[in-house]
Amino acid sequence: MSQTAAPQAAPPPAAKAPVPAPAAAGKSAPGLVDTPALLNRWQLIGMSVAIVFGVLSALIQFGGWQSDGRAADDTEQLVRVQEIKSSLLRADALATNAFLVGGLEDPEQREEYDAALSSVLTEIANAAESQPADREVLAALNVEVSDYATAVAQARDNNRLGFPIGAEYLSGASTELRADAIPLIDNMVSANTDRTEDAMAGQHPVWLVLLGLVALAVLVWLNRELARHFRRRINKGIAVAAVIVLLVTVVTAFGALVRDNSNDSLLDGELATALSESNARTAANDAKANESLRLIKRVPGDSAFEVAWQASREIVDESASRETIGSWNDYVAQHEEIVRLDDAGQWNRAVTLATESTGGSTEPLDNFDATAKSVVTEARDVVVDDLRSGRILALVLSGLTVLLGVAAAVAVSRGIGERRREFS
Amino acid sequence: MRSLRRIAAPLVAVLFLAGCGYDATPLPKPEKVDVAPAAPVTPVECNNAKESYAPSNDRGAAIRQLKDRGRLVVGVSADTFQLGFTDPLDGDIKGFDIDFAQAVAEALDVTLQLRVITAAQRIDLLKSGEIDMVARNMTVNCTRWTQVAFSAVYYNATQKVLVRSDDVASYEKDGVESLKGKRVCAPTGSTSIDNITEKADVEVVAAANHTGCLIKFQTGEVDAITGDDTVLAGLAAQDPYADVPKQTKLTDEPYGLAVNKDDKDLARFINSVLEDMRSDGRWQASYDKWLKPYLLVDATPPTPDYGR
Repeated sequence: MSQTAAPQAAPPPAAKAPVPAPAAAGKSAPGLVDTPALLNRWQLIGMSVAIVFGVLSALIQFGGWQSDGRAADDTEQLVRVQEIKSSLLRADALATNAFLVGGLEDPEQREEYDAALSSVLTEIANAAESQPADREVLAALNVEVSDYATAVAQARDNNRLGFPIGAEYLSGASTELRADAIPLIDNMVSANTDRTEDAMAGQHPVWLVLLGLVALAVLVWLNRELARHFRRRINKGIAVAAVIVLLVTVVTAFGALVRDNSNDSLLDGELATALSESNARTAANDAKANESLRLIKRVPGDSAFEVAWQASREIVDESASRETIGSWNDYVAQHEEIVRLDDAGQWNRAVTLATESTGGSTEPLDNFDATAKSVVTEARDVVVDDLRSGRILALVLSGLTVLLGVAAAVAVSRGIGERRREFS
Repeated sequence: MRSLRRIAAPLVAVLFLAGCGYDATPLPKPEKVDVAPAAPVTPVECNNAKESYAPSNDRGAAIRQLKDRGRLVVGVSADTFQLGFTDPLDGDIKGFDIDFAQAVAEALDVTLQLRVITAAQRIDLLKSGEIDMVARNMTVNCTRWTQVAFSAVYYNATQKVLVRSDDVASYEKDGVESLKGKRVCAPTGSTSIDNITEKADVEVVAAANHTGCLIKFQTGEVDAITGDDTVLAGLAAQDPYADVPKQTKLTDEPYGLAVNKDDKDLARFINSVLEDMRSDGRWQASYDKWLKPYLLVDATPPTPDYGR
């Protein structure tokens, strides 16, 4: 094993290697082996395999690096879209609840409504910038939100004048919000969930292992062919290339496996928590809006509003986290008292319980909303931070893989060059 | 090496493209809403739909027919301005119809519970016994007499048309013909639609209720609204650009207070209360307070017709 590094050997002189006749170009004369041509071919195969391995392995890693980046962006977009939905229904819950007290609405509640709507409009703009594929739907949503805000403003104006048409504007706005705006958001939630899940499945350790095994198999075959012709069991250059391929395969596949497992944990852990809590927050505000609407429209009993309230309750019961379920249960108890009073004909007392800032159903719902919002934000941050951590290392490793592929190719070249020199 | 480049270049391109493309998020497909036509109702003939039971002030007999003897549950509207509406300023349900519900409860000396119902619920809730009485601009007719019992007529409403204030002159000149080709709103399934399409070639636009029609009127989706003059008066009161012009009525819509078909004693007692309201001036006071400012016509209590 004393081969020295030497540049690729020049083709041997014609006298020492039989040159095929022009009529049979590329073919050796019968019974003779064109060893230099064979060596050239093996060298080409070996170098090609090493470089293709390096490039493909780097591309698979680069794809994984890109996927993690996209997963972080898609997660942010998904949570942003959920936030739009929650804020929109929060705004509706505030608008309908404020309506119950006539024109003299609570300034803080009004301010919170304005803030919720501003948040919706800001996030729509951010979402359009972040994900061009959502732009058409966001443009349609923008129109719906604008219509909703206009109708609520008209409802307020008429309510302050004491006209019943105000309640009709308000219930119409709430109905159209659910019929026209929410389906748009649901489509975005669905599309971004698919994108996030696809992006999180962007690590391919198996591909890396298979690629490494194929490259190793070719190098082993090459070594065997060389051994058969030159009576040397191991070609040092090919052995070095094989070691490089093996090391790169083990390190990159292990890295991808770790990343893949981490992504699966995020998908089932923090991301699931963020989505689940978002759903709970949306449904809770939807429930509060329906509670107010049943009182505004004065329809006790199992009206459509109460049926919708029960549907929202089921969602919150299933989706709320440990941090928020307590506030939700407090709210449910207050709502049940409101229903009892309303069904017993004590509408005024029911309204008081639904609107008073402390001691009624508003306070626990507000607590639930604030805690749920914080749970969603924390879980989202964990997911995004994790997906974005170590990305530079992954990129460096990807670049290094290309260089190591080239190094393996050079090793193959030198190993076969050694045989060529021996032959000449 | 040239062959290597040939292999690697497309691979790089394919992997990059595979990583960058997103399908556009689809817009929801509009749901096709099939509006089922209202089931045809075969009119029932009778001699005099306005005829009710002779009045009786037997309070005990009337109370025995209440579902809860300490409470009178009355189905009312909460969005018909001036007839039965929630006053946003104090949350109370008020109006012309509500005055009659209060008068009956006071005479029975029981608690009044107002239950907001839709027009479509009126007969079903009376039949099921969930409410004792309906005071919700309910027209007395022979078909309904087969399903419920009515008091004597407490108000003679008529179907009319509300138009934009700049269309008043043309409507007063040409009547319903002036609406030819225009969009007219009426609540879904109401007979008002048939009454106006029989008289003029108009485009009918339906809404959930009359207040919904007023929203369409304000947003320019319709040019006129048709309905009972009492209801139109309430709509006009909420919009300075909506007027009920002087016009020939399209139909008569006599209002009665409805009770369960078997509650004849309650109907007789209600008729005695109506007699009192007509004679002691409460009927007139209620009309003058709720309807006269918007209908702009003097009215007197309808003459009761008994004998059923």
